[in-house]
Amino acid sequence: MEEQDLYAALLHELKNNVVLLTLTMDTIPRTGDSEHDGPLDDARLIGQRVSERLLQALFLYKSEQGGVTLNAIDAYSPADLVEEIAHQARSLHKQLEVRVSIDESVPPIWFFDRNMLEMALLNAVHNSIHYARHQIGIGITVRDDKLVFSVRDDSDGYPPHIIEAVREGRTLQSSGTGLGLRFARLIAEAHSNEGRIGELHLHNDAGAVFEISVP
Amino acid sequence: MSQDSPPIQINYKLKTALVIDDYPSMRSAFRMALAAFGLTKVDMAATGPEAVGRVKNSHYDIIICDYNLGDGRDGQQVLEEMRYLGLIGLDTAFLMVTAESVYERVVAAAELAPDDYLIKPFNADIMRSRLDAILAKKEVFSAIYRSFADGDWEEAVQGCNALIAAKSKYLVDAMRLKSEILVAAGRFDEAGVLYEQIVKMRAVPWARLGLARTLHMRSKSADAEPMLLDLVEKHPELVSGYDLLADVQLAQNKMQDAQGSLNQAVTTSPKSILRQRKLGTVAYQNGDLDAAKTAFDATVTKGRNSIFLQPNDFANLTRVYIEQDNPAEALRVLQDNRKLLQDSNEGRLVAAVMGGLAHGRSGNESEANRLAGEAVKLRERGATGQPELLLDMAGNCLKAGMNEQAAQLVGEVARNAHDSEELINKAKQLYEQAGRGEEAEGVIRQATQNVQRLSKEGALLAQRGDLVNATRILAQAAEEAPRNPRVLMNAAWVAMRLIEQDPRGFPIGRVKILIDDAAFLAPDHPRLAGLRTKLREIDPTPQSAAGKYKPTGKG
Repeated sequence: MEEQDLYAALLHELKNNVVLLTLTMDTIPRTGDSEHDGPLDDARLIGQRVSERLLQALFLYKSEQGGVTLNAIDAYSPADLVEEIAHQARSLHKQLEVRVSIDESVPPIWFFDRNMLEMALLNAVHNSIHYARHQIGIGITVRDDKLVFSVRDDSDGYPPHIIEAVREGRTLQSSGTGLGLRFARLIAEAHSNEGRIGELHLHNDAGAVFEISVP
Repeated sequence: MSQDSPPIQINYKLKTALVIDDYPSMRSAFRMALAAFGLTKVDMAATGPEAVGRVKNSHYDIIICDYNLGDGRDGQQVLEEMRYLGLIGLDTAFLMVTAESVYERVVAAAELAPDDYLIKPFNADIMRSRLDAILAKKEVFSAIYRSFADGDWEEAVQGCNALIAAKSKYLVDAMRLKSEILVAAGRFDEAGVLYEQIVKMRAVPWARLGLARTLHMRSKSADAEPMLLDLVEKHPELVSGYDLLADVQLAQNKMQDAQGSLNQAVTTSPKSILRQRKLGTVAYQNGDLDAAKTAFDATVTKGRNSIFLQPNDFANLTRVYIEQDNPAEALRVLQDNRKLLQDSNEGRLVAAVMGGLAHGRSGNESEANRLAGEAVKLRERGATGQPELLLDMAGNCLKAGMNEQAAQLVGEVARNAHDSEELINKAKQLYEQAGRGEEAEGVIRQATQNVQRLSKEGALLAQRGDLVNATRILAQAAEEAPRNPRVLMNAAWVAMRLIEQDPRGFPIGRVKILIDDAAFLAPDHPRLAGLRTKLREIDPTPQSAAGKYKPTGKG
């Protein structure tokens, strides 16, 4: 077996095992007993983070090999995507309140790469689950002819140096939150339409606000 | 958002599912997840052929299929095979599961796309959301799917129009489906306009491809070519783009370019045997025997167990070996695949004809003569073959001194292919090689003069408006040349114009047979859709195979 084939086969195996792990954990019923449910919720969230990191690592590796191209831009319902992400968030954390807001300006369809955006937004959701006190908000609106997805929480907010780094387009640290944000920025910027490109934007409001806009 | 109706609740208890995955623990994980959604009937398959066997016997509401099946075939091929054979309808939800990011590019342009796909790793929630969304959409589109499957195109188009007017989240789905219905109905102009509208919203690859296809179908191949060249430059992994590009180039007689495009396609995606066969055929016509050999060899090697493999694929491969002066290799191929070839009359004919040709080339005259006799016996028992095979057989007969049989074979080929310069020339060559060149003209003229005369006369009568006699004459031509799709289609068209004037002017059952036969001989012919639409207009009762929608996907 060529080295390349071996590498691909290993990755394939790894992905399968992660799917098996998450699907198996997803079938363990909650009992209402916090001593049982607490560790189960934690384990499921960790399972999510493992698969997320795996996908990000592969994606970043590929982007270093030569730019990110999105192959799966098609017409999707932004509302469906937001509901799907909210459903995920609720399923991963039963104590937090997850709110969805869909602005009236949002059209029934928009063209974007659903899988990639979902990965970036879920990463933000997982971060918020980690830092939020009581609630998370997931929303969409249209601003300057761009569709803007947002994930907000009631945490202490992003540290100023991260907000600065994203605004100035500087390289972010390659661990923890920084890795996820690098990934989100690549996804946002790979969305282009008629010469305009997508953006990642962070700020603090009542807590951290993560926004991805796609033209 | 208020413009969409309230979400449809899916009752999974009543649904049936099939899980296709080569990995046993993955199959049981899917089963567990589906059971948690409420499903009670979940079947399993480990391989493509096993899955195809299952859908032949049962109807499934949901199919979950892994893209990488590990047996040399992938999930996309399984999907295409199932849809192509009509084993699953549009009402079956097909969810592809993939670890390969390359699949995104397959699906971006696939004419036969799954309803959705899941990228590994994923969890049960995402799987549930995707299934919910697919099944909800199926319910919204169910009436349209039924009309489409019944060949009731107008009704299906109206259904799409209603969804388009509602500007719901199904807007683009409805536009896409409407384009496909219009193409199936032969309304290429309207389909083209619709694809242009979608491209204006966003230049998604499948819409650009659809637009190029409608241009090709309207004989505007020269306009389609630059569009496709640009498309494959931007999306070099877009296999169906190269496929269509090759068709467009073939239509303009750019044989070398077509071979190059097909070569790109098989390099990107080597598994499809239809594409390998086409590449082999084009390379053979270009005289590039090495490339033809590689492609025909890939056809039979990769096509093992595929429903698309035909006995003639072995004729193609062995013919190249023989022309490269390697008859031993040809005999080895026939020997290795003996069991498969003995399975059908056509296969036995291929074995006898190509075996005879190979033995003749290696100087084993007695075996060659014996096989020539065997082939003649098979023909008498009704075995048929592709025109090239029949010409090879004629050559064997000439060498064995069976001149009468040779003339009969050449006559049959020529009658059915009086408009194919290539086959007529090959027939002439056979006679020249046998040192009987002076006989060729006579044999061919005698065979073709009748059908040529009838075709001309019929066309002239139709132009003058004498549909009664035009139909009579063209029906005769169709009897003379039952394997010439153009002759059959001309007869069907004029007969239908006659029936429009006088419903008793010609039996409609015969028109259906003419169209079915033409569709069998030339399944991709752009005139077929128009003929079927016309047939539906004059005979709105539910149709036989003639009116049935066959997806256009290439395997």
